[in-house]
Amino acid sequence: MKKHVGVVLSRREFAQRAALLSATSFVSPAARLELPSDIVGDYQVDAGGAKLSPEGQVEANARYQQVLSLYGDRLNDDQKTRVKKMCAELQQALDHIRSYELQNGNAPALYLKPLYEREKRPQSAGATGKP
Amino acid sequence: MLKESLLYASVGELAKQIESKQLSPVELTECYLERSEKLGPRLNAYARLTPTVALEQAKLAEKEIRRGHYRGPLHGIPYAAKDLLAVKGIPTTWGAKPYADQIFDYNAAVIEHLKNVGAVLLGKAAMIELAGGMGYTFASASLQGEAKNPWNTTCWTCGSSSGSGAIVAAGLAAFAIGTETWGSIVCPSAFCGISGLRPTYGRVSRRGTMALCYSMDKIGPMARSAEDCARIFAAIAGHDPLDRSTLPVDRAAFTYSPAADLKSRPLRIGWLTNAWKEVDPGVKKTLDAAHKALAQHFPSVRAASLPEGPWEDAANVILSAEVSSAFSELIRSGRVKELTDPRGQIAGYVNLTISGADYNTALRLREILQGKMTELFDSYDVLAAASLPVPATPLNLDLDKELSFPDPLGGIGNLCGLPALSVPCGFTEKKLPVGLQFVAKAGDDMAVLQAGKIFQQHTDWHRKHPTLN
Repeated sequence: MKKHVGVVLSRREFAQRAALLSATSFVSPAARLELPSDIVGDYQVDAGGAKLSPEGQVEANARYQQVLSLYGDRLNDDQKTRVKKMCAELQQALDHIRSYELQNGNAPALYLKPLYEREKRPQSAGATGKP
Repeated sequence: MLKESLLYASVGELAKQIESKQLSPVELTECYLERSEKLGPRLNAYARLTPTVALEQAKLAEKEIRRGHYRGPLHGIPYAAKDLLAVKGIPTTWGAKPYADQIFDYNAAVIEHLKNVGAVLLGKAAMIELAGGMGYTFASASLQGEAKNPWNTTCWTCGSSSGSGAIVAAGLAAFAIGTETWGSIVCPSAFCGISGLRPTYGRVSRRGTMALCYSMDKIGPMARSAEDCARIFAAIAGHDPLDRSTLPVDRAAFTYSPAADLKSRPLRIGWLTNAWKEVDPGVKKTLDAAHKALAQHFPSVRAASLPEGPWEDAANVILSAEVSSAFSELIRSGRVKELTDPRGQIAGYVNLTISGADYNTALRLREILQGKMTELFDSYDVLAAASLPVPATPLNLDLDKELSFPDPLGGIGNLCGLPALSVPCGFTEKKLPVGLQFVAKAGDDMAVLQAGKIFQQHTDWHRKHPTLN
């Protein structure tokens, strides 16, 4: 595995990569494979024992680049390596859930509870402390 | 000075003596406080003791009972609450440095419920920082340091209700309150050899409790027996109009009395064959014996298997996305670096990148899984398996590398908000406790409590306690 070096991005590069990240959810796998190799990056990393698909690698790398773009200055090299591994692990989980066949009618287990009455809203369901 | 054995007595046993005025709540509280002051720091069990509150509540309980106003089985009973439940005027740190000085001016709903039934708050139990929601690699991921297991202080209690587990196992309180998003009641209960109930999602109000994962957080009792868990659960369960995640009145409330046993139904037990990929040999030996005991005392024990699918991944995605929202400000501000654990310092950055579409996909899988589990529970009332496939692990273990294994039962149970009870079922050769887990369909908390109670009527593992000198 190539050593990943932290990069300082120009605004233009940042915008390109952010666009890439948002795009990866919508473009077809074939289109993703046509991305330049420097953007795909070295993502032949082992995520919990299984290698990511080429498109998964693209997306994991884009995710990693997004973290670096936003928070890279807070991370040391060791942390960057860990973040990269976490991106691969997350990607694997996402690939698994996306591969499950869902029909349009499979609604999420999330239901709005309309407020019919003017109930006294809690300050918060949880605590509201600030660090 | 009370005998040590009394400090290990069940809530039911203590309650009988308190009601008949043979035992003074003040004396009991003083003894637990003294023991907690002595042993608590050795185990890193408490975030802080609350002696002023405890003695005030104990004196009030004693006064009321003397006057003939007995509130019920928790009246005058000392307990500890995980340090993510707000207690008015007392620091509530969530186990994390960024919140070390946080003080709320109100009580969490659970603290208020327990106050109303006359329970006595001894202190705030130590916990894994932010209940482990940001991820952690080491047992030391806590403001109080690693919680040491009373059965072997070179081993961990598991988390995130780590202090709650240590406190009950070491006889520092009669019971404790823990929380679980994924494993945080079941695992410490198993590692510490105590009984712990993870209630159905929505049965216990989370008002005033740190939010980690809005759609998966649950609050439950950790105690000496299934019956104690039932008594405590009855006190804390119920609809709360100020916590909209709670179930409606008729579904949230739980009532328990020993007489309820008369109405108990014959339980069909499903012994899970695919809950764990590999089980430690010491755990397996104990579990085999537990399996035989179940077969003797339940009318039906048959092999069962969990549905296959990406359920754990769905649970992980939901958990990671909700945590990153709950602690968005901490992550974005960079103060997340103040957390103790190296994983906790950075995992939030990755979790923030999860898309709404993926989160929704995970929620859609949750709906499908709920249907599959409902079908499974047409054939079984309770599913049973090892609480964990390993006994308590060494304190300095790298959890990422050495305590990382698939947990479909935990993933499924927490994704669907199913009730679970962990009860002790024996020991490994190294004298570490092993837990047996019962899981039932949503709302059927009584089934897991009934299964645990029957198991404990025929075994005495829950009466064992460690020797702490």
